Amino acid sequence: MRRLMIVVLSLALLVGMTGLAFASEEGKLLIWADEIRAKVLQEVKEEFEEEYGISVEIQELAFGDIRDNLGVSGPTGEGPDILVGAHDWLGQLVHDGLIAPIDLTGLKDQFYDVSLKAFTWGEDVYSVPYCMESIGLFYNKDIVPEPPKTWEELVKIVEEVTDPASETYGFILPQPDPYHTFPIMSATGGYVFGYTEDGEMDCFDIGLNNQGAVTGLELLDSLAQKDLLPFVDYNTMMSLFKNGQAAMMITGPWAFTDLKKAGVNFGFTKIPSIDGQTPKPFVGVQGFMISAFSENMMLAQAFLTEFVATEKTMAKLYELDGRPPVFKPVADKVSSDPLIAGVLASAADGLPMPNIPEMASVWQAWSDALELVLTQKQDAKSALDNAVGHIYKTLAKEKAGN
Amino acid sequence: MSFTRETYKVILKIAIFSVLDAMALWASLTLYSHHAYKLLVILLVGTVLLNIVFLSRKAYPLRYIIPGTLFMLCLVVYPLLYTAYISFTNYGTGHILNKEQSIEQITGRYYLPEGARTFKYSAYADENREKFILLLKDSEGNLFLARDDKMEPVSLADKSLVDKDADGEIDEVYGYTRLSRKEIFRNLSALQKLEYEYHENIVKMKNFALFAELRKQYKYFPAEDKIVDLKTGKEYFARHGYFVAEDGENLLPGFMIKLGWENYKTLLTDDRVSKPFIRVFIWTFEFALLSVLTTFALGLFLAILLNDPRLRFRTLYRTILILPYAIPGFISILVWRGLFDTEVGVINEILQFIFGSGLPWLQDAFWAKFAILVVNLWLGYPYMMLICLGALQSIPGELYEAAAIDGASGWQRFKFITLPMLLVSVAPLLISSFAYNFNNFLIIYLFNRGRPPIPGAQTPAGATDILISYTYRLSFESGQGSDFGLASAVTILIFIITAVITWFNFRYTGALEDVKENV
Repeated sequence: MRRLMIVVLSLALLVGMTGLAFASEEGKLLIWADEIRAKVLQEVKEEFEEEYGISVEIQELAFGDIRDNLGVSGPTGEGPDILVGAHDWLGQLVHDGLIAPIDLTGLKDQFYDVSLKAFTWGEDVYSVPYCMESIGLFYNKDIVPEPPKTWEELVKIVEEVTDPASETYGFILPQPDPYHTFPIMSATGGYVFGYTEDGEMDCFDIGLNNQGAVTGLELLDSLAQKDLLPFVDYNTMMSLFKNGQAAMMITGPWAFTDLKKAGVNFGFTKIPSIDGQTPKPFVGVQGFMISAFSENMMLAQAFLTEFVATEKTMAKLYELDGRPPVFKPVADKVSSDPLIAGVLASAADGLPMPNIPEMASVWQAWSDALELVLTQKQDAKSALDNAVGHIYKTLAKEKAGN
Repeated sequence: MSFTRETYKVILKIAIFSVLDAMALWASLTLYSHHAYKLLVILLVGTVLLNIVFLSRKAYPLRYIIPGTLFMLCLVVYPLLYTAYISFTNYGTGHILNKEQSIEQITGRYYLPEGARTFKYSAYADENREKFILLLKDSEGNLFLARDDKMEPVSLADKSLVDKDADGEIDEVYGYTRLSRKEIFRNLSALQKLEYEYHENIVKMKNFALFAELRKQYKYFPAEDKIVDLKTGKEYFARHGYFVAEDGENLLPGFMIKLGWENYKTLLTDDRVSKPFIRVFIWTFEFALLSVLTTFALGLFLAILLNDPRLRFRTLYRTILILPYAIPGFISILVWRGLFDTEVGVINEILQFIFGSGLPWLQDAFWAKFAILVVNLWLGYPYMMLICLGALQSIPGELYEAAAIDGASGWQRFKFITLPMLLVSVAPLLISSFAYNFNNFLIIYLFNRGRPPIPGAQTPAGATDILISYTYRLSFESGQGSDFGLASAVTILIFIITAVITWFNFRYTGALEDVKENV
């Protein structure tokens, strides 16, 4: 009796197993996407399935988990064919051998150059990008009708508006946060990694403690010293701005939806110029990539180039997400929106965020330096010198290990 | 026929085990198909053991040990051994794949040789869609027929090419029928595998619309353990988990190798580790000790209050006081972080109201440590209160009566009766609480990420970093991202440290011996 049951049950399960999608399987597409992308793909997929009779399965993962899980699932053959990701993952994913190049022959001029460049490693492009983002200045139109064009104008507004006693601030940015602080350090000449003569990123040329970077940070620090720049983290900054307690803040287009919901009358523009020089924010690009362990490379590519890189899908991706599209036919149509125009203008001045894995050693040291300076424990020059010293040290360790 | 209770029990048991065995069988098939033989053996042995133990009368006593032991093996011993194994490798960014996978990826790369041609194609397949013939057309209009690994020029006049409806498109080749666009899509994964030799090149699918003349770029020579770039002649030798050329250029991806004791050597010799080690270790110790003491003191105080029968609404108070325990730590820690915020936090607002100025809770080393201990007190006291409440019940009331007759004061009764009697049963829990806090990554990382930084420090260790959070920083927030090998080595070291401290504690306090005497 027992044996019979086991036989019956296992047979049933065996039959059932064949119908289950465990992993990348020949002739079938498995896609890992975050919540928003999963929604859009769910709509496109039906059309694709109907037209070609190929089944597409979409698994929803938290955005950050996609990268972490790929490292575990990919090599064992349990990963997806296509995944959604950010361009600054590229270096790590290529080092780990987890993604494959995509042949975009004939499609390249449909995308903004910067978006493809961000996803380029060596000679190969690794993604069909769909959106980009870049931070800029948010201003509350009820407090600041006309946004400042220069840093001096900004400081003037800040001096008028700020009143720590009633928790009203003229200008805030998340701290300590290198990503949000970089535009102010880059305007005056700071950079993260320089470039070698053949245009490759040189991780032994770090420009975070050069004169420009120090000057930029000192500008911020002078505000902090006068009690004009509160030391707040991202969440506190957002709630201050939502409550109308902050006139201006620096962050990116991901905040649009939230602020609209909160009913704030806000605008988005470029960060004011410093000494006549333009701040260069990091530009981030997101896109679809193909797993190096996919059994369906060509099918995955065809799906991306024929079905995702189309006006219809790209427009849908934009609608649900709100960040500027990088697919020109769609971008051209929506750039009349002042918010999108603001992001595009800001991104036009920006630099792609470095996509080499060595960035991991930069964030922590840099953010420590920012905290020490902006809480008046160390001056900008020595804090940044110290940070760059740390970065060199960890990178030298890395190099010596090779 | 009537079933006794015993029969029902047997049937139920058999049913449960049938399902369990079926699940194990199913899982083993999956493991087998993924070539995970070690896990497969463990699974099978475990299942067989469970079956024997629960179905055989002789093995009856084992029932009480085997399930727990199996779980301990799976959830404690196996992860520990695996961590130890990883600590002897370079597993981390750039070294995720094994060597075969890395070689396979590198040697699977092609390049377009100079003057390479691309071809538009039509595909023809047999009835089963298993074999394919291609008709290729280069940009000058030359036709080629590709089948059985070979590719030859062909003319439209060839008799094997049949254009049934005379529309200029060949519909049939050697009896194979033409695939529509839709069918090409459906068979792309088969078509992408096709390769045809043509002169020195290989003709292969470039994208779904084109085939192209390609050449293999790399070849692996196992004897010398090297990869040669066939395009440039450059040689790459396997070194430290990469194929490296003379000029230091790496081929990506790298692969995982065994490093021996290297990760441990790094830990002992790297001044990023050794320099702050003492400072971090002392704070870790302080943090764990103070956390245990403060939570125990408050928990005990509240337990004694709640234990007093004269107190009204005891159940209500008890429920309220246990609440912090019921809220997930990562939520309350973030809430506390907001309360302690220097600029807009409630705590500073109150201080400002009373004293006229707030404190730099998150930016000053001392106050950040203080704040962390306060938060941990909030998170930890309900546990201590619960165990103390239980332990207080077990102290015989006669002792207090006798003390009262002898004229002992309240404090004396606490000092000579309550505390010693309580410690007998609670001490082991205090020690395990110490060990837990020693590795309490969550509160350190969520509250302030080990910050504030220390001005002019030679290492990235923050003021509130404990050993585990600092090593997380070293392994995952420096270098190239993640270094699981180093992280595992640290984990093993911390495991040893914690084990030694715990062993010492048990020995020194004699906690376990006392328990034995009381049992």
